[in-house]
Amino acid sequence: MSAGAENIYLPKLAVLDRVQDEIAEVKTFYWHFEDPEEQRRFGRFRPGQFAQVSVFGTGEFPLSLPPSPTEAQTFFTARQVGSCSGSLHALKPGDQFAVRGPYGNGFPMEDYYGKNLVFVAGGIGLIPLRSCIMYALAHREKFQRIQIFLGARTSRDLMYREDLRRWEQSAGVECHLTVDRADPAWNGHVGVVGSLFKKPGIEVPVDNTIAFVCGPPIMFRFVIKDLLNMGLPERCIVSTLERYMKCGVGKCGHCCIGVAYVCVDGPVFTYEQIKKLGEDI
Amino acid sequence: MKARILNHDQVLTVVDLLRARGYEVIAPFCRDEESRRDTFFDVVTDDNRAHVRVHVANPFYPPKRYVLPHIERLFRIGTGSGTFDIQPTYEHPKRAIFGIRSCDVAGIWHLDRFYLGREFRDTYYEQRRRNLFLVNVVCSDPNVDIADECFCVCADTGPAARDHFDLQLMDLHDGEFMAVAGTPAGEALFANPVFRKGTEAHVERRRAILSDVRKRFKTTTSWFPATVRYVSQGKILDKTWEEIGNRCLECGGCTYVCPACTCFTVTDRKVGPDEIERVRIWDSCALGGFTRMAGGHNPRKAVHDRRNRRFFRKLAHYFIQRELSMACLGCGRCAAVCHGDVGMPSVVEMIRRAMGETGRLSATAGGEQS
Ligand SMILES: Cc1cc2nc3c(=O)[nH]c(=O)nc-3n(C[C@H](O)[C@H](O)[C@H](O)COP(=O)(O)OP(=O)(O)OC[C@H]3O[C@@H](n4cnc5c(N)ncnc54)[C@H](O)[C@@H]3O)c2cc1C
Ligand code: SF4
Ligand code: SF4
Ligand code: FES
Repeated sequence: MSAGAENIYLPKLAVLDRVQDEIAEVKTFYWHFEDPEEQRRFGRFRPGQFAQVSVFGTGEFPLSLPPSPTEAQTFFTARQVGSCSGSLHALKPGDQFAVRGPYGNGFPMEDYYGKNLVFVAGGIGLIPLRSCIMYALAHREKFQRIQIFLGARTSRDLMYREDLRRWEQSAGVECHLTVDRADPAWNGHVGVVGSLFKKPGIEVPVDNTIAFVCGPPIMFRFVIKDLLNMGLPERCIVSTLERYMKCGVGKCGHCCIGVAYVCVDGPVFTYEQIKKLGEDI
Repeated sequence: MKARILNHDQVLTVVDLLRARGYEVIAPFCRDEESRRDTFFDVVTDDNRAHVRVHVANPFYPPKRYVLPHIERLFRIGTGSGTFDIQPTYEHPKRAIFGIRSCDVAGIWHLDRFYLGREFRDTYYEQRRRNLFLVNVVCSDPNVDIADECFCVCADTGPAARDHFDLQLMDLHDGEFMAVAGTPAGEALFANPVFRKGTEAHVERRRAILSDVRKRFKTTTSWFPATVRYVSQGKILDKTWEEIGNRCLECGGCTYVCPACTCFTVTDRKVGPDEIERVRIWDSCALGGFTRMAGGHNPRKAVHDRRNRRFFRKLAHYFIQRELSMACLGCGRCAAVCHGDVGMPSVVEMIRRAMGETGRLSATAGGEQS
């Protein structure tokens, strides 16, 4: 092959360092590239980007990058749902797999300097948002208020517990948790995530605000409705879309929604853009 | 562009010249004399050279496979040494396609725009494309070259390609062919003595034949551009897409024969005790599994959503502008293979009829007492 041309389908070898249980069927995988140069190059990703992860013999699949580029560690958080995610879950520390990326547009965090950030996540929707939250906290002085609204089915479904504890205790963030169903271990708020917006004592800034919304489709629809009702403009609501993906580089055609290739034009879109894609999400 | 004349019985000299220069030459053949539609592309050998067809119905299996094989290995993964050993495999054969039709020349150009354009260049496509030489043959015999479904004349890709070939041959039907060079590599062939200079009369003859051939298409639609406009504006009713979708049997045939369809899937397979390979395989948006995600959620559940997708991708102005090339070249293959008669020309026609029916005036509307 000619010099300088890069093979866009070639993944780079990585080693699994450590696995941490998050919630049922969801684990976080800490890893690093075998080649330190690749690790440095990859480390410059943007919040909201993703990677194509290869477990050889099974295949390749997309995973978000939950760390912020301001953190030292690279890791994925993956739910076990099918063949590739199943094979990843079967790996042990020291095992090899491979990664290529980072891909996608990511969140334009610099454009949000000077604004209020409102993060709304449902379930594992927190995975891509964690990156933005950590980024915002690492550049705390660049932003106005930072609010986090997090919903989970039960208290056992809350992930990134250590981060949650830190965010709850940090003076720089307002972090509000809720669960759909109460249990004896839980003494916090009960209700869908949107119910937090109306909770006494909570006031969501509407002017000069960017709202990040990630979660299951049903939660997405309700939260969007709430935010629009509160007066947030469509272009100030951002989200990441999820589509079946095979290549991550705009060639295989699997991820298209209407006029967009989610892998290269997204996965980050404003609600204004999502509405105009011309196809159901 | 420089043009030359050569004798009818010397036209296969082009094949010989290319073979002598080290090209593997692909050319169209016909299964037997009777079955005129049973045609295929194959490698020219000493044995079959005499059977190469210049006038032939365009094979259903498009020449796309020479730049995008049906199944293509991306890399091997050795597992024997205790560490994964990733070995990419590249193929860049010195290859020429003799007798590629004008629509398919535009098809390769579309693939160039798609795979080599935008953010990323497709490495494997680029490798195969690098040494590909295209000898376009103009469809000048309406009885043989032009199938009932061809509508290149409406897609503005044929019957004579204007560019993107290395060499173009056209039968002047008087014992002579005209050769047009599209690239310096094509022009280099003119050094051979079989090529001679032509006259104004040759050029005039070419023009006259083409103007006659253009009238001989059985499938034509003046509605192609209008359809692009309506699809781009989202003006086509769900009802119309449903009507189109209801006729699709989800065989995927239209996408496999299409010279401009680009979608593929990727999978790993074990090929030996210590070896895995990753391959990409042509895929089809007509198939239900194309967008189905883990857990079963499928954003394009209904057949008509998927049908809609294929035509939206090909007709929406957004994509035409994105590639500066349209993903339908009017080759007519999808029309010929579709069991449900929802190939591109029929779809354009169904949209034309549906648009004619919308927005009808009603003289009686306006309440009871009118
Ligand atoms: C941009 C993006 C980021 C993502 N980030 C995460 C994350 O951080 N954590 C997480 O747990 N999940 C994430 N997902 C979803 C995850 O990719 C799928 O759950 C995973 O691909 C399922 O693959 P599988 O082989 O286990 O399942 P199977 O059903 O066996 O799927 C086989 C193949 O289908 C494709 N596929 C199936 N479902 C999806 C899907 N939902 N999205 C994309 N491709 C799919 C993949 O190519 C996969 O290899 C993300 C998806 C996208 C598009
Ligand atoms: S060839 Fe016809 S029936 Fe088959 S998938 Fe295409 S549109 Fe559907
Ligand atoms: S859509 Fe149909 S007519 Fe158009 S290029 Fe593809 S196969 Fe040919
Ligand atoms: S994942 Fe292949 S085109 Fe987007």
